[in-house]
Amino acid sequence: MTGAQDIYIQLESVSKAYRVAGQAIPIFSNLDLAIPRGDFVAVMGPSGSGKSTLLNMLAGIDRPDAGRVRIGTHHLDQMGEAARGSWRAHHMGIVFQFYNLLPMLTAAENVELPLLLKPVSARERRLRVERVLDLVGLSGRERHYPGMMSGGQQQRVGIARAIVADPGLLLCDEPTGDLDRASADDVLDMLQTLNQVLGKTILMVTHDPQAARRAKRTLHLDKGVFIEESRAAE
Amino acid sequence: MSTLIRQAGFMVRVNLLSLPRRLAISLSMALSIALVVCVLAGFLALAKGFERALAGAGSPMVAVILGGGAQQENGSDIPTETIRALQATTGDIGVVRDGAGRIVSSREVVVAVDVSTVADQAVRTVAVRGMDGAGATMRDQIVVSQGRLFAPGAREIVVGDQLATALGLTVGRSVRLGTIDWMVVGRFSAHGSAFESEIWADLDAVRAGFDRQNEVQSLRLRLMEPSGLMLLQARLSTLGTVPLVARTEADLYAAQSERTTRLIRLFAWPLALLMAIGATAGALNTMMSSVSDRTVEIATVRALGFQRFAAFIGTWVEAVFLAAVGVASGLVVSWLGFNGWQASTIGANNTRLAFELSVTSDVAVIAGLLGLAIGALGGLIPAFVATRLPLTAALRARG
Repeated sequence: MTGAQDIYIQLESVSKAYRVAGQAIPIFSNLDLAIPRGDFVAVMGPSGSGKSTLLNMLAGIDRPDAGRVRIGTHHLDQMGEAARGSWRAHHMGIVFQFYNLLPMLTAAENVELPLLLKPVSARERRLRVERVLDLVGLSGRERHYPGMMSGGQQQRVGIARAIVADPGLLLCDEPTGDLDRASADDVLDMLQTLNQVLGKTILMVTHDPQAARRAKRTLHLDKGVFIEESRAAE
Repeated sequence: MSTLIRQAGFMVRVNLLSLPRRLAISLSMALSIALVVCVLAGFLALAKGFERALAGAGSPMVAVILGGGAQQENGSDIPTETIRALQATTGDIGVVRDGAGRIVSSREVVVAVDVSTVADQAVRTVAVRGMDGAGATMRDQIVVSQGRLFAPGAREIVVGDQLATALGLTVGRSVRLGTIDWMVVGRFSAHGSAFESEIWADLDAVRAGFDRQNEVQSLRLRLMEPSGLMLLQARLSTLGTVPLVARTEADLYAAQSERTTRLIRLFAWPLALLMAIGATAGALNTMMSSVSDRTVEIATVRALGFQRFAAFIGTWVEAVFLAAVGVASGLVVSWLGFNGWQASTIGANNTRLAFELSVTSDVAVIAGLLGLAIGALGGLIPAFVATRLPLTAALRARG
């Protein structure tokens, strides 16, 4: 069990529905979730189960219709759009399924993006970019453009971008969904290292059971309800 | 540096770097703006050239006396006895006198005459101005560029450079004006002013050649200073019963140019504005395509924490940048195509008035500002749309 003081991510009685053609389609109803700091959680579930909506809500991209979303000391459900953007810039990194690198920028410039949102000098930005690119094994590829890299390398640039500002939380949306097995394993190794060595709290949405096995625990979501939780073997 | 400014600068850079992906539609926007700038600059250059030709002809130090209530030389008539009475005036009437105390003046008459061009025998109506010997010296900035001035009483003419070039007249050539042959003895430059569209000859020779015995349409006098005009006007009011009016040469030509330039601008602005509305719609369409093309990029950086303001500025500056490219292209084409281009129209005496189109800095600024306004307005709505893109587009979209 986790004590209340250790809970880093907390959803309380969260409800969310989308309106389609004037009709409300419920996604969640009174959903609760508690994730302690330093956890590595995989969320699995069939299409339409609410995984993406959950991720959007934890990223502050979407807001619940009812209930509370707290991450650390920040209550995202009570924050305005600009404040949530600022919160993302300072406290969270996102790893996208399709990397979402800007093709006209080099690897280093892509990684530097989140640092532009902080009062960090150009020299400090360069040093931090070099350090994280080295950490993800892309030292020497700073000036390469995304189009010159494999999918696995692009995802590593995406991970470097997600951690360069040293956020406490990493949200990963199908991070291995577009990769071959070997590249996927590399990326998962990296996420495990970030969790175990650097203490990052990671929430990963995935369809891949092998990816989910790398997490400390896996939550199974179906029709907006967590139906099962499994823990990795110690 | 504020992170907001840094975000905006970054978005501008990313947008401009992504332009090659949208090269064709971006160039079409710049081209449509260039066309608007070209059209407006062309018309304004026309008005400016006409204005310059007439403004350059007038001096504030020369008074032109017109008679019979006329506002221009055509239709004016000054009786001989009135001229004699004025020349007999003693005392200060604000005009320059020679060493012998005589008023320095030039009696003048303008006749509209058909002349055939040397090259294709096309008939053009030109102004033949008969003047006293002091007439040429009365005009500032006149330079005899070839040959010499006409001799008193002789059937000799000097031709303005622009007109001589248009008609193909050269010094030493004989040309038929009316029923008489005249000898071209010189050409003169007037720095492109309206005088260069005239033929000058001796007053008596013109009056004899065109059956205008004793006729004087205007009397030119050199003023001591611009304020001397009031003294002159006061003296004129005491001379006889014919109404006489004195204006500075500068005012006379400015009034002539005002009507035409106003007409040109009246035609130019509605046309340019109609084209500008079309170009603004085109710019809006182009920038909406740009936002659509960059949806994933915009949503990605917004998902990372970039503010809406940065997304707005990035798109808006792209629109203004493309407009600036259009403005620069339009002005270069206008300058190369229009500046110095020879045009002509019918002047005040129903004669041909030649002038050069003039793409001046104020013409460039006005046309340029209209072009930039097209980009700035056309980019506003797409820039707003860019700030409202759903961020969920970033999370599952293939970038």
